[in-house]
Amino acid sequence: MKIEIKNVSHTYDVEVLNNLNLNLTEYKSVAIIGVSGSGKSTLIRMMSGLEKPTAGEIFINGFDVRDEQYKKKIGFVFQNHNLFPHLTLKKNITLVLEKTRGFEKAEAEEIALRNLTLLHLEDQMNKLPKNVSGGQAQRASIARALSMDPDIIFLDEPTSSLDPILTHEVLKAIEELRVLGKEFILVTHVMSFARDFADYVIFMNEGQIIEQGPPAILDSPKTIELKEFMEKVR
Amino acid sequence: MNKIFSYILAILTIAAFVAFVVFRQSSDFSLASFEPYKNLISQGILNTIYVSIMSLLGSLVLGFVFYLLSISKLKYFNALTDVFTEIIYGTPLLVLVVVMAFVIGPAFGTFNRNVMGFTALIIYMTPYMKNVYKSAFSSISEEQYMAMDLFGFTPFQRYRYIIIPQVVRILMPPLMNNFSMIIKGSALLNVLSYNELYYAIRVTQSQTFAFVEGYILMWVLYLMITIPLSQATKYIEKKWSL
Repeated sequence: MKIEIKNVSHTYDVEVLNNLNLNLTEYKSVAIIGVSGSGKSTLIRMMSGLEKPTAGEIFINGFDVRDEQYKKKIGFVFQNHNLFPHLTLKKNITLVLEKTRGFEKAEAEEIALRNLTLLHLEDQMNKLPKNVSGGQAQRASIARALSMDPDIIFLDEPTSSLDPILTHEVLKAIEELRVLGKEFILVTHVMSFARDFADYVIFMNEGQIIEQGPPAILDSPKTIELKEFMEKVR
Repeated sequence: MNKIFSYILAILTIAAFVAFVVFRQSSDFSLASFEPYKNLISQGILNTIYVSIMSLLGSLVLGFVFYLLSISKLKYFNALTDVFTEIIYGTPLLVLVVVMAFVIGPAFGTFNRNVMGFTALIIYMTPYMKNVYKSAFSSISEEQYMAMDLFGFTPFQRYRYIIIPQVVRILMPPLMNNFSMIIKGSALLNVLSYNELYYAIRVTQSQTFAFVEGYILMWVLYLMITIPLSQATKYIEKKWSL
């Protein structure tokens, strides 16, 4: 996947991103790591086009992320599953497919069933999000993102609200998706997952990219910031 | 089963208390003297229900307008709803009804007291309705809007499939509570001689001199309107909860 970030800055009340630049071409799965408040969630939201930067431009696979067409090429998995609470797991998928992608009911059902089965939810799909576990809801949210047949799947700390057992369950499900040949951009605080799953790692601190490279940088950090971070998360 | 039994026991306890109080009355307790006035009283019940429903509908609309004003970008509108809310919160409904019918109405050339009575009820309920809308709409998270944006829902589709189905569920229980408030509040329209339930009974009392019985009858009749309503609320709350 091609990622091009040009002079991106973002300010809410304080500066969150400070003149970021990034140019990647050949990686399939990019992980962004860093402490809370380092700007990593803001960056992934900008890269997905969910939020607009106050300055700068972002191009992914040749698309300006502000382009409406780009939204059809991506899937996004939020920190908390963010399923629509009044719809069953299946309906969360079929409604979106029918209303925004123009699928017939039968086709939409088939796609939903296929993706929910892929995430081992075939016996939960007629339940409301509140009636399944956090891990199941998060997997359903991944199934929903997959059902849009995106080129790139964004995962914004998909396990941050889950306990260790559910975290393992969700990460295992994501690992299994590798065979689908999709591209991934993810924020995670689980270092072992970043190491195993990603082929490129970006470490952020105070709104800037401090260090980047293959997952091996996690084991032999060059900068003092990443070194300190790795000691804290260990 | 245990729960149903508890409820039956609770109702029997209250009934026993009421029976005790009734039997302790010195005079003979009888509702028979109300028999000739049953048309007047029925009309009173119907009018109470009618005025309550109209006030509910009116305050639903006005409350929504006020909700929109309260979230408006224009600070003046926010301030206006704040000041209005403070005033209404501190105003007894009886005072509002009288002021509406005898002061504000005539100032605008309206001497129709019944209409001004309705209006007072509607205006009284408006801030409460505004709050109902506020809590309902704030229950839809920022991230849900992001998801709708990401999937590319049109504004119509957002409201039709995502926002309204959720908001209605949250809206219903407090709405029913407000409705119950309106029903009881409508009794104050008796000061305008509007023939609602309270007024009908008062008239009957003055003819039969059965004051205690009249109030008991009135009490029972109001309960017959409000209890099914609150039961319906509980049912909806349970069935639609998220």
